Amino acid sequence: MNKKTTLNAGNLSAGYSVQEIVKSVSCSFTAGTFTGIIGPNGSGKTTLLRAFSRVLPSSGILELDGKPVAGFTPAELGMALGFVPQDEARPFSYTVMQVVLMARYARTSRFSSLTPADYDRCHAVLDETGIAHLKDRSIRALSGGEWQRVLIARALAQDTKVLLLDEPTSHLDLSHQSDALALMKALAGTGSTILGVFHDLNLAALYCDRLIMIREGSLVADGTPDEVLTPEKIREVYGAEVVTARHPATGRTFLMPLSTRSCKTPDVQETPIRVLVVSGGGSGAGLLHILAGRGYDLSAGILATTDTDYGVAQALGIPSIPILPFSQIPAHALEKLRGMAARADRIILSVHPVSAGNLPVLSVLHDVGPVKVIVHLPEGREFVSYDFAKGAAATAMMDLCSAGASCTGTYDGILVFLEQSDHKIPPQPE
Amino acid sequence: MTRTIPLIIGLAIATVATIVLCTFIGPAGFGFVSTAPGAADIVGGIRLPRVLAAFFVGASLAVAGAAMQSLFRNPMADPYILGTSSGGALGASLAIVFFGGFFVPIFAWIGAVVAILIVWSIAGRKGVISVETLLLTGIAVSFFFSAIVSFLIAVAGQNVHQILFWLMGGFWNASPGDAMLAAAILIPAGALLFFMGRDLNALSLGEETAAHLGIDATRARWIVLGASTLLVAGAVSIAGSIGFIGLVTPHIVRMLAGPDNRIVIPASILAGGIILVISDTLARTFFSDLPVGIITAFIGAPFFIWLIYQRGTTV
Repeated sequence: MNKKTTLNAGNLSAGYSVQEIVKSVSCSFTAGTFTGIIGPNGSGKTTLLRAFSRVLPSSGILELDGKPVAGFTPAELGMALGFVPQDEARPFSYTVMQVVLMARYARTSRFSSLTPADYDRCHAVLDETGIAHLKDRSIRALSGGEWQRVLIARALAQDTKVLLLDEPTSHLDLSHQSDALALMKALAGTGSTILGVFHDLNLAALYCDRLIMIREGSLVADGTPDEVLTPEKIREVYGAEVVTARHPATGRTFLMPLSTRSCKTPDVQETPIRVLVVSGGGSGAGLLHILAGRGYDLSAGILATTDTDYGVAQALGIPSIPILPFSQIPAHALEKLRGMAARADRIILSVHPVSAGNLPVLSVLHDVGPVKVIVHLPEGREFVSYDFAKGAAATAMMDLCSAGASCTGTYDGILVFLEQSDHKIPPQPE
Repeated sequence: MTRTIPLIIGLAIATVATIVLCTFIGPAGFGFVSTAPGAADIVGGIRLPRVLAAFFVGASLAVAGAAMQSLFRNPMADPYILGTSSGGALGASLAIVFFGGFFVPIFAWIGAVVAILIVWSIAGRKGVISVETLLLTGIAVSFFFSAIVSFLIAVAGQNVHQILFWLMGGFWNASPGDAMLAAAILIPAGALLFFMGRDLNALSLGEETAAHLGIDATRARWIVLGASTLLVAGAVSIAGSIGFIGLVTPHIVRMLAGPDNRIVIPASILAGGIILVISDTLARTFFSDLPVGIITAFIGAPFFIWLIYQRGTTV
């Protein structure tokens, strides 16, 4: 594939009369890549895109195909770079075809008419974007999603090597989103340089080859979706808690937001509370991420080495007690867990499937003191649905609660429970 | 697309017919072939220049209106939106009060251009002019100039009548020179706007959109503003501020032919001329030479309200 640099920015700064929004951004884009620009609201994504397209004056280096963008005539730029805005006012009743034909203005002298080839190209684009049936409709009669597809079609009809998209799918439904982005990806496959601003990080991860992350006008991350979309980065830049996983069908990274109260920067705790998270089957992954970010002294319980939770614990450097998958819990592992539980100030039981094999874990929790245990049963679920021990597991979990363990359905409930605790270990029920 | 050629041909035929018919209609009578004494003088020396002046002024206002509506992305914008009419009114009032009515057209023209220049320089002092700032500044400057005109009317004494008649607009004193002046502005400025048709189409979706489509949006904006200003200032200096022609004509054209400015511009020229010639003929023939501005407002305002009512489905 052609790896030629098409768009190149060096120390690019841009903004509005009073305020500089984009600050010294340096990055370049190669032909054949679909790059997503992500970042929180107001971080300067759209401003950066508008600086790239020259509608916003900028300082620094901005080159297209090795030539300074400032040197392009408006028509040359219109043939080299296309732009899909988020939305556009529609004061007049042009037909869809009339609007798409405007893409060919840059290629036509004002003293001559558009050629049949121009019409053919526009018809082809209308077919490609699936809006051929809207051709003669007034643009004022279109829905927001249909109009957005017209804007995409118009940019495609410009036949430019570089295409800039400002949240091109914000008004589109699920199927049209994937249609539009698959089209962009295919276009990148034929050697175009595509840059898109995305709000939806999962869409960005699914379709983009590369992501650049902007915060307060500066580039803070640049790489593949896997490299950029880490829970740590998202927490740092967006102030949001997420868990990452692999998309089961595509193998791409995807993010799941966690419902927590406003995520302040984690408090630095002088003497961190020791928290044991007992989980399994991936039930504790999100929790481990959140608690690690908040500075708790964490440990994880007995985890099979194939468990997602084990991977997360390993990645975050949280000690756990690994066992072989599909094996009986060995006695020494249970003893280690007993020790861990005794040392912990707080224990979180993140409810997960319990069979006769891991039933002993619950009795360990019962032994060390239900008072310092909080049971996290996701809202709307019941203990019995996790019971694979013929009722014994559900009974054990309910016993735990009636013996003084707290119970919550949300992460917020857990955080409240942890924040309320002083550092003293609650009285042992011995 | 298919309707455009017949529309332009139809309008061209209607233009010729209107000019010929209206030249032979008037309070003094006279048929097409008249040998009555003075007939040639009245028809050729008075009516024809007046009909032609009305045609060119109507055409100027309509084409300027069409261009400005696209530029300002607002189909409700009128060609006086940047203060031209109030500037022209101020200039004319000054000439009436201080020079006894001499030099009214020159002063009106200067007033119109000065108003535009003030609006541009206030709106553009930060380098980049937004359309919204231009519109708001135009409104503010209009109010200010109108206040001065009201003051002049209050202190004008016996000249009040003359100022008020000027404000309502008309063609009582239209001379062959007026018709030629209006044509001299209309022909180059109209042609310029016609060849800016695509730029206007792109601009009507937004200046950034136009830039992204490869249009030199800034240059196009200044050309459109400059040409429109010349057209409107010329019209105002010849006939006072005649309302609604520039506002309503482009709408009628868009309803017939769609919003493509390569059709709207030439069609507005013809239609605006026809409408004003007919209005002026009505004024001088049936309403004892009422100011034609009253006729256009009387018909135009209800039509405009109906347009607002219709908007959303058509236009």
